Amino acid sequence: MKSSILTARNLSKVVPSAEGELTILHDLSLDLNPGGSLAIVGSSGSGKSTLLGLLAGLDLPSDGNVTLAGHDLCTLDEDQRARVRAEHVGFVFQSFQLLDSLNALENVMLPLELEGHADARERARTLLERVGLGQRLTHYPRQLSGGEQQRVAIARAFAAEPDVLFADEPTGNLDSHTGERISDLLFELNQERGATLVLVSHDERLAHRCQRLIRLEGGRLVDRVEP
Amino acid sequence: MSHLPFTRLLSLATRQLWREARAGELRVLFFALLIAVAASTSIGYFSARLSDGMLMRASEFLAADLLLSGSSPAAEQQIGSGQRLGLEHAQTVEFSSVIASDAGIQLASVKATDSAYPLRGQLKSAAAPYAAEQPGPGPQPGEVWAEARVFAALNLKVGDSIEVGAKNLRLTRVLTYEPDRAGDFYSFTPRVLMRLEDLPATGVVQPGSRVKYRELWRGTPEALAAYREDVSPGLEAHQRLEDAHDGNRQVGNALGRAERYLNLASLAAVLLAGVAVALCAARFAAKRFDASALLRCLGLSRRQALSLFSLQLALLGLSASLAGALLGWFGQSLLFYLLQGLLPAELPPGSLTPALAGIATGLVALAGFALPPLAALGRVPPLRVLRRDLLPVPPSSWLVYGTALLALGLIMWRLSLDLQLTITLLGGGLLAAVLLGALLLFSLQGLRRLLARAALPWRLGLGQLLRHPLAAAGQSLAFGLILLAMAMIALLRGELLDSWQAQLPEQAPNHFALNILPADKDAFADRLAQLSPVPAPLYPVVPGRLVMINGEPVRQIVSKDSQGERAVQRDLSLTWAAELPRDNPLSAGSWWNSVQASEMPGVSVESGLAASLQLKLGDRLSFSVGGINRDARVTSLREVDWNNFQPNFYMIFEPGTLQDLPVTYLTSFYLPKQQERQLVELSRTFPTVTLLQVEAVLAQLRSILAQVTLAIEYVLLFVLAAGLAVLFAGLQATLDERIRQGALLRALGAERRLLIKARQAEFGLLGAASGVLAAIGCELISFLLYRFAFDLTWQPHPWLLLLPLIGALLICGAGILGTRRALNSSPLTVLREG
Repeated sequence: MKSSILTARNLSKVVPSAEGELTILHDLSLDLNPGGSLAIVGSSGSGKSTLLGLLAGLDLPSDGNVTLAGHDLCTLDEDQRARVRAEHVGFVFQSFQLLDSLNALENVMLPLELEGHADARERARTLLERVGLGQRLTHYPRQLSGGEQQRVAIARAFAAEPDVLFADEPTGNLDSHTGERISDLLFELNQERGATLVLVSHDERLAHRCQRLIRLEGGRLVDRVEP
Repeated sequence: MSHLPFTRLLSLATRQLWREARAGELRVLFFALLIAVAASTSIGYFSARLSDGMLMRASEFLAADLLLSGSSPAAEQQIGSGQRLGLEHAQTVEFSSVIASDAGIQLASVKATDSAYPLRGQLKSAAAPYAAEQPGPGPQPGEVWAEARVFAALNLKVGDSIEVGAKNLRLTRVLTYEPDRAGDFYSFTPRVLMRLEDLPATGVVQPGSRVKYRELWRGTPEALAAYREDVSPGLEAHQRLEDAHDGNRQVGNALGRAERYLNLASLAAVLLAGVAVALCAARFAAKRFDASALLRCLGLSRRQALSLFSLQLALLGLSASLAGALLGWFGQSLLFYLLQGLLPAELPPGSLTPALAGIATGLVALAGFALPPLAALGRVPPLRVLRRDLLPVPPSSWLVYGTALLALGLIMWRLSLDLQLTITLLGGGLLAAVLLGALLLFSLQGLRRLLARAALPWRLGLGQLLRHPLAAAGQSLAFGLILLAMAMIALLRGELLDSWQAQLPEQAPNHFALNILPADKDAFADRLAQLSPVPAPLYPVVPGRLVMINGEPVRQIVSKDSQGERAVQRDLSLTWAAELPRDNPLSAGSWWNSVQASEMPGVSVESGLAASLQLKLGDRLSFSVGGINRDARVTSLREVDWNNFQPNFYMIFEPGTLQDLPVTYLTSFYLPKQQERQLVELSRTFPTVTLLQVEAVLAQLRSILAQVTLAIEYVLLFVLAAGLAVLFAGLQATLDERIRQGALLRALGAERRLLIKARQAEFGLLGAASGVLAAIGCELISFLLYRFAFDLTWQPHPWLLLLPLIGALLICGAGILGTRRALNSSPLTVLREG
């Protein structure tokens, strides 16, 4: 049996609110092997994005722990977690999160440049060609459609060859046809590059393309579909 | 990402900056900085060069840049030091001597000079008394020049010979103007000018004679400063070093005020820069929240993300500052080129200092205003990529404003090197900002209640302001500060020009009459009344020397180089008066009543001299008048305006105290240039009376003031232009949200006219509020400035009430211009571009 790339043990998240403390995630555990894919589904406010944030080390749990690529994230400070993210993690966001002031090529080059790759431009160009945007390299985000922007974001996410790719509602801002094409692209690339995919979505069809699925409701795990 | 070395970070920052610049993201911040640095550099250059120029002109009053004077010849090493430093050198020796001709004798003030004299300014002379004067070199060895008075007194003509001591010299020209005569205002005897080479042969100067030796120096400011430093410690008790600043009170005051004004103008430019940068930097930071969160997701540590943005900002600041400094330099060069006919021909080129100060200004302003919002970027939680509502914990306001104030204070102090001015401006500004900010916030809250019943355009426009009252108050304060800086410079300009005008009215006395005998007094006054429209009263004068203070010899009390030292080294003109002279307000004690009970007579002392001699009310002063000692008690201290070209006195005695001593009278009067021939007749009728022309001094002072005025006018233009530019740039920085809102309203079907009206309401109110703030702040700061920095009398300025209107018009115009894109282009494009 392969060792886990991502493990969560007894995760809870409690936040203060006007009515006292609010538990938005209850005692959740999971394991994910390298190359696997996991969908987190649930309605709005079920705690999907909170879980994603905790798994990716963007936030810390109130209780429990997360191990990502052998690092116990809860024992690391923010800068150390940033280092783990830099080495092992890629992201695709619902709102694309492209930098307005950079064109498509420069957006994809950014993580490569941060790593100090001398061939950043070439690799970014190849990736953009792979996602079908070879003709739009110098276009700024505002000159691209939503689907095109998400493709740039996907290219950026794979640029640094992450071990785990976190995707937060990657098709949430797109029409169904474009969403379909984007999810095809996401799974194709994931397969090609052997990354582990953690996907948050309320789109059941998209979620069922993953090998495993967990369903959240009110911050609790209510269903688990294993292969 | 611990392996991100600095060089990579720098290259990344450079590339990011370049990309953002290309995308048009940095334009506003770049131009705000560019304008600010260009303005402060050009004002810096303009004032430095003009002030050097004015100083050069003022140096003519000394005939040199620096003067070492003493009652015995300067030591060899004192002269050697100047020569080693490469300074130009001239020497003069001055003494009183009787000159003789066949017709009689006359006491004259003789000046013997070498051929290099004067080092600044020119001698002027005429071929015959009262003929047209011409500039040119001084007399040759064997020759002598004399003032017209000497010609009249001794019945001489050009070509005659006169005897100075044992030497016979030929009179070749009539001396009409010596540049350094002004500093010696009260020299009563007429001037005779001869060559130093002839001096030994006269045999007049013997050990123990009362002689004034002057070493004149001219050179670069650096060399002069080095000379001053070298020579100052070893100065003998009888020696003094002076430059144009301390050489002449009238010019010194005018120069001092002009320099302060120019400094203040630079400070206003810095303030403008600060406001511009503050407006833009906050936007710079806010626009990078997403980028910062993303970079953190991509694995950059907090420190690295912060370094990346700081480096970007530093690079931006440096390039904008360098470009601004260059632009500023070209700006002032162009101005000097355009003004070449009006300015002195040989203006010094100006050093690198103003450019460096301009660049430093840009960088420090950027650091002070932009670092605090930037620090917030380091604290953007990476979770923001998932939840857009997460904003960084804002930095403490104390930190933000503290850093900004510190930065402003540092620049102001560096530029003006004047702690008092800096503290006055900064303290006044801060006080005004806090008070007015609170007032504004309060009024905005009140406005909210009124708004419910207002028409739609008003609700739309003002709603925009009310939604973020703190931001609206901040913007209003920023624009208020811009208007304030502009209004303040305009206001001070008017006051300074008025004060100079008052100092030198059209008919300022241009002649002094001295040595009027009591027997001639009434006849002279009558004759004067016919000649001059505005004669001053005749003042009795008794020459006397202050010898003791409270029984202690005065020489042991005074410090070297003080006003007191100069006053006790020579005879003072003592006078008496029953009434306190006009323009002489009492600063301590009381004026005497007609009946004085005390057994010791009272004396009123000029307050500056009193301070220098550490005199206080009730002190006993002993004077020696022609060998007779007189005691008096200090009963009052008086302020004296030495700039008014009226007879002024250090000591005024109680009437009845000095009457028994030999007295003469003096007065000053205005005589139009075309009536100058009357002087000859006047001096023939009253041969004992000494007439002094101060027209040359006045003309020189007027020409300096004209240049200063010109400088001030142009500096005002600079500040106004910079203010407007910064206003537009600043407004641009606050427009994003408004453009979006406008597009949204248009998409919802709002008519163009409605939007324009809403904008007018919003910007009009913002501008009017800024104007009110500027008017109140301007009055407050001007009050502090007049009182503590410029020594001017403060009065309210009703025209400042126009500022709200000006502010409303300016900001309304600029705002509508800035948001026209939202009105003219398709709302869809605007919304899509976000």
